[in-house]
Parts: sequence; C-alpha cells; structure tokens
Amino acid sequence: MQQTTSKKLLVTSSPHVGSSLTTRKIMLHVIVALSFPLIAGVVLYGFYALFVVALSTAAAVFGEWLFNKIRKKPNTVSDLSAVVTGIILGLNLPPTVAFYVPIVGGIIATMFVKMLFGGLGKNFANPAATARIFLLLAWGAQMMNFVNPIDYSAVTAENLFMGFTSDAAYVTSATPLAEIKAAAQTGAPDVDLLAGFLGTVGGTIGETCKLAIILSAIYLLVFRIIDWKIPTGYFLSVAVCSLIFYKEGWNFILPGLLSGGVMFAGVFMLTDYTTSPVTRAGIWIFAVGAGLLTVLIRRFGGMNEGASFAILLMNLLTPLIDKATKPRPFGYVKPKKVKGEAHESKN
Amino acid sequence: MRIKTFKYGIHPEERKHISKGMAIASLPPGGLLKIPLDQHIGKPAAPVVKPGDAVKEGTLIAAADGYVSANIHSPVSGTVIKVETQPNFRGGKSTCIFIENDFKYEKDYLPPAEKDKDSLVKRAREAGIVGMGGAGFPLDVKLSPKNAVNTLLINASECEPYITCDYRLMTERAEKILKGVEYLRIASGAANAVIGVEANKTDAFEELSRYAGGNITVELLKTKYPEGGEKQLIYALTKKKVPAGKLPSDIGYIVSNVATAYAMAEAAEDGKPLIERIVTVSGKAVGKPANYSVRIGTSFRELKEASEGGENFVKAIAGGPMMGVALHSVDFPVTKTSGALLLLTEDEIRSVEPTPCLNCGRCANVCPMSLLPMRTDALILHDKIDECRQYHPELCIECGCCAYVCPAKRPLVQSQRLAKKLIRQKGK
Repeated sequence: MQQTTSKKLLVTSSPHVGSSLTTRKIMLHVIVALSFPLIAGVVLYGFYALFVVALSTAAAVFGEWLFNKIRKKPNTVSDLSAVVTGIILGLNLPPTVAFYVPIVGGIIATMFVKMLFGGLGKNFANPAATARIFLLLAWGAQMMNFVNPIDYSAVTAENLFMGFTSDAAYVTSATPLAEIKAAAQTGAPDVDLLAGFLGTVGGTIGETCKLAIILSAIYLLVFRIIDWKIPTGYFLSVAVCSLIFYKEGWNFILPGLLSGGVMFAGVFMLTDYTTSPVTRAGIWIFAVGAGLLTVLIRRFGGMNEGASFAILLMNLLTPLIDKATKPRPFGYVKPKKVKGEAHESKN
Repeated sequence: MRIKTFKYGIHPEERKHISKGMAIASLPPGGLLKIPLDQHIGKPAAPVVKPGDAVKEGTLIAAADGYVSANIHSPVSGTVIKVETQPNFRGGKSTCIFIENDFKYEKDYLPPAEKDKDSLVKRAREAGIVGMGGAGFPLDVKLSPKNAVNTLLINASECEPYITCDYRLMTERAEKILKGVEYLRIASGAANAVIGVEANKTDAFEELSRYAGGNITVELLKTKYPEGGEKQLIYALTKKKVPAGKLPSDIGYIVSNVATAYAMAEAAEDGKPLIERIVTVSGKAVGKPANYSVRIGTSFRELKEASEGGENFVKAIAGGPMMGVALHSVDFPVTKTSGALLLLTEDEIRSVEPTPCLNCGRCANVCPMSLLPMRTDALILHDKIDECRQYHPELCIECGCCAYVCPAKRPLVQSQRLAKKLIRQKGK
C-alpha cells in the first residue's frame, strides 16, 4: 500500500464550487422584503395588524412542524419557508379579523396546501393564496370587512391603543375596488390615486401601501430573488386588460394597478418559485395570464378582487405551461422522420 | 465593438488572482515517475518497453494502439522499473509505466518536422499530442476530419476559476503559441484561425495580438463561464450552432486549446514530444500558489509539497473547480490533461448537503444548452428513464452552471450523468 499518510478527502461530482445563496438565505431576503409592507400595515392599521401577522406566522410554522411530527419526518421549519408563507398570509388578511382566522389560515396553508403535497417545492398552489381563499369562503364577512386607517389626529391618552384589538374604533369603509366595480359602466371611477399609492385606504394589512411594496420589489430585484419578468408581465397585462375591458378603460389603468392586491400579488405571490413556471416563455405566459384573469374577475365576476383567484388558477396551469414551453436545447434539431428511409431499405 | 459571447451561463468567482502573478517555474521531477497509458480519449497506448530498459527523455515508451489513441514518451532519462496496473483518480484502473529518474535528462527528441499538412499531422501523432484543455482527444484524429475545415478556433478563454496555466503561457510564450497555431492551421487545412481570449486576460490578448497576423486573428470574449466550452466558443466567435450529435468539423470548424497549440510548436520545431505541461497549483490551502512547468508522471504530492500545501484542505481537485475531478488522494501523477491541482478549504467549496428543489428555475436560466436540469434531476432519481429522454440529458456538456447557482445545492450534474448512463444502458 503506497497511500499510507493520505487523509480522508471529500470526493464528489463536479462542480466543486458554488454560489453562496441557499434556500434559507432566499427566505431571509423575502422576510426582509416583507417587513416593508408589514411596517406600513402596522402604521396604517395599528398594533392589532402586527398581532394578526404574528399569529398567522406562528400558525404556519406550527402547521409544518406538526405535520413533520405526525409523519415522523425530519424537521423542515428551519428553512424559513413557513415563516414566509405565514407572513404573506397575514398581510393578505384585513386588519380586523378575529384571532382564530389567521391561526386557521396559517395551519391550512402549510399543513394542507404545502406539506400534504410533499412540502417545500412540491405544492401545486400558492399556500398563502389558497389559505386566503379558504378563509374567504369560511368567514366571508370578516374577510371583507375593510376599515380606514387609524386617524392619528384623534389619538388621545385614553384611546392611545386604538387599533390594539380587533373591535377597536375602526371606521368601516368601502375599498377602492368596490368603487372601481361600481364605476365599470360609467367609465369614471372616483379613486384617490395618491391615497392608493400611500395606502391610506381600506384594504388588507399588507396590500394597501404600494410605496412599501415598490421598495420590497426593488430589494428583491437587487438581490436577484425574484424574476423581473413576472411583476412586469403581470402589471402590463393588468394595465392592458383594464384598457380593453372597461368603458373608457384609460381611466381604470392606474386605479386598477394601485388598488387591491395587484402589486402585492405581482411582487410576492406570483413570484413564488414552486408554483410559477421555470421556462422563459412560460413565465411570460403565466404573468400575462394572471393579469388577464385578475381583470376579468374584477370586471365580470361576483367579487371585487380577483388577484387571489388569478394566482390560484395560474398556479394550476403552471405544469401545463412548463410542458408546453419546454425550451429547445442549444443546437437541437428535430430528428427527421426516418419512415421513408426505412421503406427504401426494405425494397 | 460589442464583445463576443454565447447565451446564458454564469460568472463564478474567478479567484485567479491567487496564482495569476506567478511566472511559470520549472519543477524538477523526483526519483520515480508514474506514467499512465490512458491519458487520452480512446484506447490506452500499448507499452513498447519492458522493465530494465534504459530510456531517455522523449523515448517512446507506449505506442498508440489503434486510430483513436496516442503515443506516450518518457519524460526523463532513466530506467523502466515496472509496468503495472494501478488505481486511477477516476475510480478505475490504468496501466502505468514506472520510470526511475537518473537526473541526467539526456534527450531523445525527434528531428524538426517539415511544415506541410501531412508532416504536421504525422508529427502530432508521433509526439503524442492530445487536447490539453481537459478532454484529451488525440490531436491527429481531430486534424483529419471527414469534412473540409474552414476555420480553426483556438480556445484561449480559460474560463474555469482558479486556473492560470494558459494565461501564463500566453503572457510569457505568445510567440511560440502563434507558431503552433499556424502549424495547426496548416495541418487542419483551415484557411484561417481565430484565437478567443476572455476579457479578464487583456494582457494575454495584447501579447497574442502582437504576434498575430496574416490568417490568424485574436478576439476578445466576454468573461463568462463556460466560454471555453466547444459549442459555446464556436457560437461566441461565429454565431454558428453545432447541431446536436454533430462535430464542429461538420459545420467547418475545428477547436483546439492554446496549450495544445504550444505543444504542437514544440513538437514541430524542437521535436519535443508531449512530456511536459503547465500546471496551476492554487486554492486557499496552498502556501505558495504557482504555475509549474511539470513533467508528465510527476506526483501531485510533489506539486503540493513544492507549493507548501497545508493540511487544512477538504478537497483536492485535478483540473478546474467546475469540471475537474475530486481526488481521494494526492498520490496520483500529472497527466497530459491536468491543468491544475487545487487544494480547497471548507469555505471555498460548494455544500454537498442537498435540500429539496424549490423549482426556482435558476438552473434553467443559466444552462448554456437550454436544458431543464431540475426536471432530469427529479425524474432520474425516481428511475423514470423514458420520461427523462424528453429533457435531453445527452446534450448536457456537464459544465456545472446549474449546480453552481442551485440554492438547494442539488447535485444536478451528477443527475445528468446518471441519466445519460441509464439511458445508454436501457438503449433505444
């Protein structure tokens, strides 16, 4: 034996070097990005909003942990994907929901939508969007009870903690989406665009402040966490479809983009890796399709908001889109049918 | 001028600064050299010496056995000790000739070759020259394609991180390289030759440009991996795609490495067979990074010791970090295709603990062959061989871009290799 002094070396297949990005780091980046709309939501709607998001996050993590426990699988909560799901779900809830709504939602999201189908990377639909739709069907009134942001000029020593509980003195309001729906025939929606941009309107915790979402988008794009094609394609599609499907559609482009969950969905939910296509062409089809469905549901459906349903429907189409848009390998030429040749050789 | 490149790919951390400034230094071999007979693609060479024979530096010790094979020469003068089968670093076994060095370095070179096509092809075969970029394809076979060749492309991109052996060769010995390129051009029958250099080696580009002229041009390429992949290089320089399953010569090109051109010049002018090459020794565990001129058959251990390699490395790699082979011991000899010995520490290497695929699509985004590596990975691990075929793992060039960017650290290249193997086994 000549290899007497050799120490144990790691022998693996090439490549031997790699980028420092890991699943956990990606999730951490997303959590940082989510903190912008979360902070905005808490400023707008009070501390109870933070409580709602904390509950949904805890429930989502618990759901994943419990599933692993029951199935005797190694614990996967440390990859932080459940935290991301929980925060996204919380930001998708109105700031007035009862405490059990985010808890049920979080558990549904991870335990049933994600883990039951194989966990991270295997779920067929966005856990947060699906859980939101579940909650919408289960507690419709609560899920559509939107309130105006806290009026800080009215804050006094006695009501300092206004907004700390779900039944605080909120003023229920119609969201800009209801106004858009109502104005679909007249062609002149009365929507305050600046309020829509800053988020000083009724809506879910994380969706309303577009400024915060734009900051998140910049953050995620700078760190190359999300693909720019998805938000770009989605927003353009919403804009164009608004133009087409509304009377005097140009009046609906900005209100459509700055109301409801379009921005939030485009940045945080459609960009979910697992449930969006991987091919270059497929990503465009996915984003444009989601925009089309969002506008169609808003305009012709029974609901004011269509983003969640659009996400879910496009998620379901993702495997088909990927299959249909399989890229042609570099230099690949379709093998010619050899039927003729075979025939000749027979003769 | 728009800088030339191919589509997709990655830009890994270069880490060339470690050894970039080190001039080529000759590393004298030790007392015993071990020369494997399968340093090339094709059939191993057949030994023509027996134990006890006296050999000189450049004496033929194993002859090409068949058309796709290559001659092997003694790198030193001395005595043949034994011919024996030895484990190789690829996990298989190779026949090796052991030669005891007498430290006299008496030469037994060929006479200078005539500079016409046939003599040069013959000389490439006599001198045992193979592609030195890593594949080790016998040069004379490459120079005699079925189809007429229009252009010779020289790969001087050296796109692998860490490696600087070609860079040093280009900055120090550009004149001889250009002579070699001209001989290769004549031998291949090509009308002209184009040398592609990556933009991170502008001084090499300038050196080569100084001696280029006539039918030879030098082009700057974007610093991107795998710029030196054969199909990628052809596309970058000519915008032509090599059809799947075809050879570059089928569309009128031949690609050769810059170090191979240098070896050709030495063989044609000095009659020196391929018995020596430049090897980069680098990595964080190396005290004195270097670019050595090393005789084939020298042990990697000697390189490690000369470079004051510490013991804090966890991986030793023959070749580059993207496509090189991990060694289970440094007691293997330098071969004609060894461009580097890398001793990498824990913080330099990619994690080997895979986590579930996120379907993020990064691998598909960077694949220079436009494949979907995550699909092959998922299918082949479930033995779905037939479904795997539609994702064409056979077209994978194993460049490693997919695995490099994978945040889940999945062994994507390994899966492609497995898929290739299983598909081949299963047949059509």
